[in-house]
Amino acid sequence: MPALVLLGIFMVYPILWSLWMSFQVGRGMNFSFGGLANIIRLTQDTVFIRALTNTLLFLAVQVPVMLVLALLFANALNDSKLWGRGFFRTAIFLPCVTSLVAYSVIFKSIFAIDGIANQTLLALHLIADPINWLSDPFYARVVVILAITWRWTGYNMIFYLAAMQNIDRSIYEAAKIDGVPAWARFWYITVPMLKPVILFTSVISTIGTLQLFDEVNLLTMGGPSDATLTLSLYIYNLSFKFMPSFGYAATVSYVIVVLVGILSFIQFVAARDRRA
Amino acid sequence: MNRITSRWRNTLAVALTGISMFSVAAAQAAEITVWCWDPNFNGATMEEAFSRYKANNPDDTINVVIFDKAAMEQKLQAQLASGATDGLPDIVLIEDYRAQKYLQSFTSAFEPLTSHVDYSTFAPYKVELATLNGQTYSIPFDSGVTGYFYRSDLLAEAGITPDQLNDITWDQLIEIGKAVKEKTGLPLLPIDPTGSDWMRIMLQSAGSWYFDADGNVTIKDNPVFKAAIETYQRLLAAGITTPVSGWTEYTGSFTSGKSVSTFSGVWMTATIKANADQSGKWGVAPSPRLDGVEGAGNASNLGGSSWYVLSSAPEKEKAIDFLTSVWAKDVDFYQKILVNQGALGTYLPAREGEAFKASDDFFGGEPVWQNFSTWLAEIPAVNYGIFTEEADSATVAQIPAITSGGNVDEIIAAIDAQVRQQTQ
Repeated sequence: MPALVLLGIFMVYPILWSLWMSFQVGRGMNFSFGGLANIIRLTQDTVFIRALTNTLLFLAVQVPVMLVLALLFANALNDSKLWGRGFFRTAIFLPCVTSLVAYSVIFKSIFAIDGIANQTLLALHLIADPINWLSDPFYARVVVILAITWRWTGYNMIFYLAAMQNIDRSIYEAAKIDGVPAWARFWYITVPMLKPVILFTSVISTIGTLQLFDEVNLLTMGGPSDATLTLSLYIYNLSFKFMPSFGYAATVSYVIVVLVGILSFIQFVAARDRRA
Repeated sequence: MNRITSRWRNTLAVALTGISMFSVAAAQAAEITVWCWDPNFNGATMEEAFSRYKANNPDDTINVVIFDKAAMEQKLQAQLASGATDGLPDIVLIEDYRAQKYLQSFTSAFEPLTSHVDYSTFAPYKVELATLNGQTYSIPFDSGVTGYFYRSDLLAEAGITPDQLNDITWDQLIEIGKAVKEKTGLPLLPIDPTGSDWMRIMLQSAGSWYFDADGNVTIKDNPVFKAAIETYQRLLAAGITTPVSGWTEYTGSFTSGKSVSTFSGVWMTATIKANADQSGKWGVAPSPRLDGVEGAGNASNLGGSSWYVLSSAPEKEKAIDFLTSVWAKDVDFYQKILVNQGALGTYLPAREGEAFKASDDFFGGEPVWQNFSTWLAEIPAVNYGIFTEEADSATVAQIPAITSGGNVDEIIAAIDAQVRQQTQ
């Protein structure tokens, strides 16, 4: 019973209140009921459309790349004959426990005009002029994708590693004796066995990317010219940077809720179909 | 075991006695809490102001809390929105661009000071932007009067003398930039393509803003706005700028000699003078003005902030007394913060002080402070309104189009549409 009361106060009430908020219009603390005004504003808001496109772009590019990388790393590090695998596991996992601010600062200095990324590329004669990583719309997106991939690959890898340890060794031995090559063992045994974990990580990563805020806020502030503006950063701007418009900010956050719901549902359905 | 427990008990008793004695003492004296964002600039001036106040009020103390500026604004806005006043300070520093936004969204959160301060002694434009419905809410602090800061030694290499920089237009500056680039190989200016400082400076220098005095959007059909975009486009096309990303790269560019100059607010002086080895190698000229624009001048503003007292403040009376007795009276105080922090206050009687008349060897013996206060008096007052952030971000969103030489009318139409959409 106390648990239900706590749940009510700290979960249900804020959710209902924010839903009520999303129908309010007005500036700062002077708001009034606006009906569908916020939803109509949403459809005409070019900045919102830009934030939505950016977020979905990050999702479509980054999540598959990261999960495939994590899977490959996990498979490689699961090899009991690999020398120093404890070290590599830690090294790949470490990014996701480092301080967010510290890693953003380092990424910023790596991708500065005279940073190590440009110096290396110049020294290798891959580029003729330094790339303006953080001020160019295309490259700023690349840096954000690199940053989140670097940070979260190891985290997903740990899930895959844990799941791989639960696969019975004898299955692989049997396959080996039958002459199944390594890539086929990975593709036809490991991947299907990991399906529930892959589903879990893809749902978690989808939610994480839809809520992407820290990296873009610290690396690019959503710039240059909104090229890396995400929905979460837009909500932040609406509440704390622009004239506070809490009702509209709540409406935009419900867009994330709906998106998370739809995408998770699609992923569950897709996973079920493949099993059948 | 017993002995240890009793020793702990004794320690605890002593500690409690100490705390209770301390709290008795604290109950008599007031502690004023201040929020601001720069330990070397506004934080340091606040400490200095209080050390003067303390001479007559020895029991009082001050607690200057320094935040990251964005973090402070977020904390303030979130707390005001939640209506919880616990933990808010007595005095808070607010940047001028945001003043009306806070005053209009959280009107009752700030204490009107009209009856405590003689506002005719402060620069009128500072008073105007802290006034709402006939009440003024701030103690005006620093000015953001702009200047053109340049490396005189590097410009001399290109044959440019300080006289050639006096009251020029942006297009004349572009020509100078080309000469500098040709002779020294160095870019004239570092430009952050995600910033909008240039727009704010150019607009205000001609007495214009994104909004008119009534707060209506004035972007389309505004000749000043169009001239600003066109000037910026010419500036970028001339190949005399170098792109930078973020504040550190920006200030690093001209303080390390990778570029030869910058245009900015007077507060940039502190950053420039931090490089003591460059003493005597710098100069400050008036800001360039827009070509062919009616009312365009060589004085403008960038940034600047003021102190506000919260109406929920536990030490409200004390805070007002402190602010009015130092910040609105002490001419000598303003001399000291000018010399030590490079803080150009907007308290007009302070301009008659010694420090304002002194020359500065760092800037080749020029009377820079007097120059700045002369330009200060020429800044046209504009209404920043409540949507400057939205308008900035709409402008910055079009920078790729501006940089790539896009059609100015289309760019302006896009900015106008976005601002109108965002400010409904």
